[in-house]
Amino acid sequence: MLDGLLILLLFQFLGEVVIHFTGLPLPAPVVGMVLLLLALMFNLPGGERISQAAAVLIRHITLLIFPLGVGIVLQWSRYQDYALALTVAVVLGTVIALVLVTLLLKWLMPAPREHHHD
Amino acid sequence: MIELVHTPLFGLLLTLASYRLAVWIYGKSHSLPVLHPFLVASVPVIVVLPWAGVSYEEYRQQTSILSFLLGPATVALAWPLYRQLRTVRQVWRPVLITTLVGAALAAGIAIGLAWWLGAPEQVVGSLAPKSITTPIAVEVVKSTGGLVSLAAGAVAITGIVGALVAGPVFRLLRVRDDRVRGFALGLVAHAIGTARAFEFGEKAGAFAGLALGLTGLVTALALPWLWPWIAGWLF
Repeated sequence: MLDGLLILLLFQFLGEVVIHFTGLPLPAPVVGMVLLLLALMFNLPGGERISQAAAVLIRHITLLIFPLGVGIVLQWSRYQDYALALTVAVVLGTVIALVLVTLLLKWLMPAPREHHHD
Repeated sequence: MIELVHTPLFGLLLTLASYRLAVWIYGKSHSLPVLHPFLVASVPVIVVLPWAGVSYEEYRQQTSILSFLLGPATVALAWPLYRQLRTVRQVWRPVLITTLVGAALAAGIAIGLAWWLGAPEQVVGSLAPKSITTPIAVEVVKSTGGLVSLAAGAVAITGIVGALVAGPVFRLLRVRDDRVRGFALGLVAHAIGTARAFEFGEKAGAFAGLALGLTGLVTALALPWLWPWIAGWLF
């Protein structure tokens, strides 16, 4: 757990360093994620030590995002003028995107090799 | 006594207790999307904060340690991505094409609808990353000049809507392939969709996790470059 957190923070810091020196318009944690992914693909020693810390953080992402997300309600007065645009874009937009992506996948994905039972 | 509500302990305790209760209710309901912990946990927080006289800005400061952990949580996404990259080698081509086209579709439809209904640039910019996982979305939204709270809320609601309509959509489109169900859910509805995908099976869950990681990555790498161009064209 401790080693995992240490590795994650280290790679986030590496992401910050890369952004600092290159000025790329990218989020530093995403750069850290790419660096960690590359390191894992090149067999980073002790890479499996990440699993525990990663699992805990990812499982509770809802908790981590909560203070930010709840602002949509607590600051609703700021957004109510665009209520229709927000609702349509988020609700209808999600349904349309799901239908289109599913159709695209159905078309592109080769038939499964083993027999499918359901 | 009353000054106790103005300490980080108060905000953290309120958040953790609300979240714990919400997770318990969600488990009891067998993961019903409308009872997602994000929705249920917001009820006590929305009631208690105004009653205790704590402003939203102060609450954000009290709970800043949680927001800080979104950074390492984003880096942590490399782990499931790495694990799942190996399981899908045979279908890398459809996976890659769908990621690129699907990420553009999910963001493009949200941008288009919000813009068409008259939302200003700041609001449209907040909705652009709505299909990607929250820790990445709140980072990406900084480059589109959007509002972090609006983006985080839109992401959560997108996930809930996606998980809710997935069953009917897959029935209607006659989808029985768990790889398709999982990948579509993870791409459009990020972590909440991934949780829903696991109900279809392990394979669907793995494909959803892969889609979540790839879509977040592609959007985070592309949107900061494309946004000035999109915004210049629309506004």
